[in-house]
Amino acid sequence: MWRFLSTRILMGALTIWITTVLVTLLIHAVPGDPVQIMYAQSQGTTPEQIEEVRRSLGLDRPIPVQYAMFMERLVQGDLGNTIRGGQPVLDVIMQRLPNTLVLACAAMFIAVLIGVPIGFLAAYRKGSLTDITLMIIAIAGISMPHFWLGLMLLFYFAVELGWLPVSGNGWLNLVLPALTLGLSNAAIFARLTRSSMIDVMNQDYVQTALAKGLPKALVLRRHVLRAGLLPVVTMMGLQFAFMMGGAIVVENIFSWNGVGRMAVEAIFQRDYPIIQGFILTFSVVVVLVAITIDALYAVLDPRIRRS
Amino acid sequence: MTALLSVTDLSVAIGSKSLVKKVSFDVASGEVLSIVGESGSGKSMTAKALMGLLPHKASATGRAMFDGMDLLAPEVQPPRGTGIGLIFQEPMTALTPVLTIGLQLTEALVSHGICNAGEAQRRAIAMLDRVGIPSPADRMRQYPHELSGGMRQRVVIAMMMLLDPRILIADEPTTALDVTVQAQILDLLREIVTDTQIGLILITHDMGVVAEMADNVLVMKAGKAEEFGPVQRIFAAPEADYTTALLDAVPRIDASTSRKPALAEPLLKAGGINKTFAKRGAIFSKAARYKALDDVSLTMHRGETLALVGESGSGKTTLGRIIARLTEADTGTVTLNDTDLSALYGRELQDKRREVQMIFQDPYASLDPRHTVGRTIAEPMIIHQELSRSERSERVHELLEKVGLNADMAQRYPHEFSGGQRQRIAIARAIAAKPSLVVADEPTSALDVSIQAKVLDLLENLKRSEDLTLLFISHDLAVVRQIADRVAVMRNGRILELGPSAELFAEPRHPYTRALIDVAPVPDPTRKRGKRPVLQGDYPTGPLSEIGPGHWVAA
Repeated sequence: MWRFLSTRILMGALTIWITTVLVTLLIHAVPGDPVQIMYAQSQGTTPEQIEEVRRSLGLDRPIPVQYAMFMERLVQGDLGNTIRGGQPVLDVIMQRLPNTLVLACAAMFIAVLIGVPIGFLAAYRKGSLTDITLMIIAIAGISMPHFWLGLMLLFYFAVELGWLPVSGNGWLNLVLPALTLGLSNAAIFARLTRSSMIDVMNQDYVQTALAKGLPKALVLRRHVLRAGLLPVVTMMGLQFAFMMGGAIVVENIFSWNGVGRMAVEAIFQRDYPIIQGFILTFSVVVVLVAITIDALYAVLDPRIRRS
Repeated sequence: MTALLSVTDLSVAIGSKSLVKKVSFDVASGEVLSIVGESGSGKSMTAKALMGLLPHKASATGRAMFDGMDLLAPEVQPPRGTGIGLIFQEPMTALTPVLTIGLQLTEALVSHGICNAGEAQRRAIAMLDRVGIPSPADRMRQYPHELSGGMRQRVVIAMMMLLDPRILIADEPTTALDVTVQAQILDLLREIVTDTQIGLILITHDMGVVAEMADNVLVMKAGKAEEFGPVQRIFAAPEADYTTALLDAVPRIDASTSRKPALAEPLLKAGGINKTFAKRGAIFSKAARYKALDDVSLTMHRGETLALVGESGSGKTTLGRIIARLTEADTGTVTLNDTDLSALYGRELQDKRREVQMIFQDPYASLDPRHTVGRTIAEPMIIHQELSRSERSERVHELLEKVGLNADMAQRYPHEFSGGQRQRIAIARAIAAKPSLVVADEPTSALDVSIQAKVLDLLENLKRSEDLTLLFISHDLAVVRQIADRVAVMRNGRILELGPSAELFAEPRHPYTRALIDVAPVPDPTRKRGKRPVLQGDYPTGPLSEIGPGHWVAA
């Protein structure tokens, strides 16, 4: 198991390292001179000022030197300063990251809480009207874009019924964005859980457990559920990355003050240090989640834990 | 003797489709009933109906009297576990992978209220000991994947016997196991029947197993009982034509063979082949590799059939794949007609590949389901020959007829064919490229016996008409005896004995060869033997030395 986990941690570190390279190159991926573009909309910027910004970003140096400088600052925990406002990027991100994480976790919680039982029920009643109805709803849920579902929820629960606030950053404000993000993912979990459970229910070991005369409820709980949840756990890791991505859209709809909203603003303002910091932070979070999921997997599956 | 279980007119149907038709039989205490039949005969459905474990939408009618109740009556819940136990074919999948052996052994005792957890633990350890599992207390904490197939099947048997059933149904309990392990499991089952006087229903397709185990036999075909009677009578004077046909189709390890190895020039020479594979999950450590082949050499002569025999993990498939160059050897050479195949790459290799073709075990997996049969068979010709489109399609038709199918089947897709027909298609594909050597890896082990006999005949005929040399890989000594001119016995990546078929079977010189021949079930109930010898201790695995003309044994 330790070999398994150390491999995963090494792979994660490699992923993050590759991200640092890409992030350095990112600024040059834009056609034309990045600093010129940055200031294209602002009036009265003198060539001297542009030269100053270029130097402060290190863009006048060769790319390998830029990378070395970037890494040197990075290991000291310095992601640079924002172009508008000049605050340390790390502070700006750390201030908002918890909001995004709370949103993603709440959405994950909703997705699993709704999706897994629905999938389990559909598998148990495979081929019945219940199964078909649930799966049609699930497909509808997967097909629904975040921005549309978000606006609909906003319209009914906040505007029409007035039960929940339209925007802001309190706990009540969390409900709608988390539901938006959670519901469409619940549909994915429902479908995966269903197919995985059906697969397990047809296994010889489930038949064997029944042949021992165990009550059906015990067989489902002990023999089916745990083995059937293994793929769901893997999916949780993958979906978490998608949820972080989905958060960008949802945060903007509900004016939720997370890193996603910050990133969109930074993109509009061509604030490269923030964009770089955002991508890097994002990749670190995704890698950490992936490693956590692998560890969880090892706990659930003795074939990995004891090898 | 009064019957423990008395089944009358058992029928199973899904909707209007009848799977089992009015089957009747009895099982008495201390008796073994074999239900024998080929795939689709309804033998497993019969067992599931008795357990009340039929698939969704299937329903059973008839009477099955057990312990004063009718198991098939709608209001009756069959006494699963405590009255009747059930063992499945595949020990690898019969235990829940995420739960410990201990929990799986004890949970039913506790759930049935037979005893408390502590007592269940004690009984489970005693039962593991009884079924021959070493250090049983340690096993309780292990997970299924940490045990071998044979050990797992013992665990499943222990799991069922703990509940003290009166009847045990074993559905092909040894089919997935190696012959030496099969012998041990069959011995164990027989001991249990003698000691506990339970009734054993043994479902199998293997007439050898029937002959060795059964007191009574029920022969089934397409859901119907062909005949039911004592084993001696069934084998000596079968009443149903189907039983006669089934018995005739069974290859016999004790059959006489008049095969003489052809003394032709060598076609293929494999020398000093080594191959190691990484163990699963080992990325960083070089030590965690196991040797699949350990310095193996052999020569094949033009026109002969050489059989590679061994149990799982012996390296026989790896050797076959290296000869066909589907797998690269770590070291060693494979020379075909004086060309070193192992040194060829790119275009040259592709040209030479025509010479060696392969037939795989599972005809369900080896044909592309999205290609028509005609396209599958034509493909090697497209790659290797410059035939026009019309010439190719003519040749496809010719090949289809050669393997006993109809030319007009070329337009169909694999799913429209039975397992035996698919294997014929795979054979047609193999000979389409006009190879000189065909490597057949367990080509009949996924097939029913009656189909197997026909496919073996086909291979035999094609070998002559197409001037082929055949490398036949198998775990089944009886089949090998029927088809091979020479036999190489492999274990743990080494050839232990290599010799002419007749001599090797008549006078096996290596202890492992002897053990393999001893444990193979013989379809003759009059030859019922006692406990079979188990191969123990060390045996020679050194380099081969010649002890007779063309007969080599590891020293």
